[in-house]
Amino acid sequence: MEFEATSCGDCSVSEDIESVLGVDWDIPKKTYPPKTVLLPTGERMVVREAAREEVPKLLQAITPLLTVSRDFYDIVAARQYAELLGWYRRRVRNEFCLVGIVEGKLAGIVNNRAYDQKRHVSLHTIALKRGARAGAHLFAAKQENSMETLGAEEILVTAESPIGFRRWIVEWGLEPRPGLQHELGGANAWAITREIYYKVKPRLVLGSRPVPDDLLKRSATFEIAPLDWVSQE
Amino acid sequence: MTKFGRHDEKSLITLMTESSIRALEDAGASEKSVDAVYAASMLAGELNNQTAIASALVDQLALTPAAADRVENGPASGGSAVKNAYCAIACGMYDTVLVTGGEKMRHVPGERITDYIATMTNMEAEYIQGVTLPSLAGMLTRLYMERYGLTEEDLARVAVKNHLNGSKNPYAHIQQPITLEGIYGSPEAAVNNPLIADPIRMYHCCPVTDGAASVLLCAAEKAKEFTDTPIRIAGVSQATDKMAVQDRKDPAVLEALRISAAQAFKMSNTTPQDMSLAELHDAFTILEIVESEDAGFFEKGTGHKALRDGVTALDGKLPINPSGGLKARGHPVGATGVAQIVELTWQLRGEAGKRQVKNAQRAFSCNLGGFANNILAFVLERP
Amino acid sequence: MAENRLVGFKCKKCGTITYPKRLLCPSCKGRDFEEYLLSEEGRVVTFTKLWAVPEGIEQLPLTLAIIEFDGKVRVTGQVLSEEIKTGDKVRPVWGHIRKIRGKEIQGFRFQPSS
Repeated sequence: MEFEATSCGDCSVSEDIESVLGVDWDIPKKTYPPKTVLLPTGERMVVREAAREEVPKLLQAITPLLTVSRDFYDIVAARQYAELLGWYRRRVRNEFCLVGIVEGKLAGIVNNRAYDQKRHVSLHTIALKRGARAGAHLFAAKQENSMETLGAEEILVTAESPIGFRRWIVEWGLEPRPGLQHELGGANAWAITREIYYKVKPRLVLGSRPVPDDLLKRSATFEIAPLDWVSQE
Repeated sequence: MTKFGRHDEKSLITLMTESSIRALEDAGASEKSVDAVYAASMLAGELNNQTAIASALVDQLALTPAAADRVENGPASGGSAVKNAYCAIACGMYDTVLVTGGEKMRHVPGERITDYIATMTNMEAEYIQGVTLPSLAGMLTRLYMERYGLTEEDLARVAVKNHLNGSKNPYAHIQQPITLEGIYGSPEAAVNNPLIADPIRMYHCCPVTDGAASVLLCAAEKAKEFTDTPIRIAGVSQATDKMAVQDRKDPAVLEALRISAAQAFKMSNTTPQDMSLAELHDAFTILEIVESEDAGFFEKGTGHKALRDGVTALDGKLPINPSGGLKARGHPVGATGVAQIVELTWQLRGEAGKRQVKNAQRAFSCNLGGFANNILAFVLERP
Repeated sequence: MAENRLVGFKCKKCGTITYPKRLLCPSCKGRDFEEYLLSEEGRVVTFTKLWAVPEGIEQLPLTLAIIEFDGKVRVTGQVLSEEIKTGDKVRPVWGHIRKIRGKEIQGFRFQPSS
């Protein structure tokens, strides 16, 4: 699939209609300050905000997972694909995406969006680099971005897979929100409140700043490594 | 053996058949018949819907009408199968026996695997209380920390060493080296290496793995019909201990290993100091340290010191788990005991490639069933 | 039978105390036992805090310990506290242990004495 990063996403849409259908950021936006995180392999993962122009490459990276039903990869990938494409085509409001890059290769993609300044919604976490806890660090980083960079008071979280449930909801000790439907299909919702976030932060939200200049420069772009773990892990 | 890892596309019986074919080829026995096939698997019935898997294997290998038995002894199924084959040959009942251990478990959710593994504990005393194997490892580790000054860093060092060895083993499940800083000491270590059963953490536990391993045993006097490099099983022994850890004389002592290892050394007329290398059962990294002592290689309570001094590294005086051990090679439960014998054989034949221990003459392995209450010990030697 | 005391089984032949009940004495293979009330308090020999709990257990983490009674017999069980150390004294308390496949299981758990 080919995309054009034009100002309206698609030149065949008139600017009048686009102003009605298109959405972007309607709350104050600040850029996530990049950091590095030490992985068990000894490698350093650079965590930085993704740019809208990078979405086509991100979609390419996710595509192989669209048909992997194991551990609910297919629905996680399908949904994140839609969210990132939606952001790219200006059909999702207040969404941000962070990427993890290890030795120039894309290690993972995470995204949230802000319903409003106070309430954010945690969307998805995909770790492309396996067996290195990349997903855990990236999940923490996107919540850090919502809470600290963007000043959220609360982030609503859900999980599609049992592994996601254990890793995010149980491990973080999230507060259940019975009766509240999460944006992702109306699933059951849990919340990261400011209290919970700052309680777990010393233990779970880690990394060092600033990123050394040369490393940051090298991480301005990324390659997509083949997903050899999809059939063999 | 097959590569250990995740094999979504192959059934357990396929893995075991492939592994068997490779062993038979290696032994120059592809066109020959064997007298018996022993198939080792702990959970073939529960996880793969295949009970009586030995019957399936002898059939798939076109080896009928050979005798065929499944051997189940928890994670010591492989070791028990090798022992049984040894005994069958030694008593003159059979001349050649194929032993294949296998397990396919990665397709099952982690909690269910933990539960199945926990069923090998004492039902009333342990299982019902919520005891799992990691919890027993946690309790053993705490005893060691309080009694002998073992530290969390020691647990991490075993993992780093075994991952490094695994990176040199093309059959290993995990061939990715890790660093000490990545799993211990750095702030990120808390996320990278989360607690499972305090003080045991994720990187102190072996993975869940699919795979199969095979060996062909024959009567010593017939060995040259197959190969110019037969490896002799010089010592084999098995011993049990009280099942529940609470009932052991000293919960920090693997009495079954002390007895079985001593018997294996006696039978082979060797001592631990004669060993060129050892494959120990590091389902949890604490076990490698404790086994290195109770098998007789180091004084009780000093195994972690030998580790720190590099004695057990690949280039050390007594390399332990040159294959990567259960930690990195992986732990398809029924296959492990056989895979250890395969590694010893390759090492003693000089066929271990990048992880070759120099001048390997004699080697030891131990395979644990339950939480160290049923143990097989082997001494192999190059003739 | 006292409500919150563990009942061990003393071999009539050799006096060895076992818990839980067995058919044969582990020391002398004797088959006759008499009930033996274990002491009110036991001593923690070792413990762990389990984070990867089995299905049917709600407590997270689950504190498990091996506890010695009368210096003669050890019991494995859940401890109702995250703050225990080796050597601590604990008392048995009857109650909910866990569920196994939805079925409620009751038994003795342990509470710090102080």
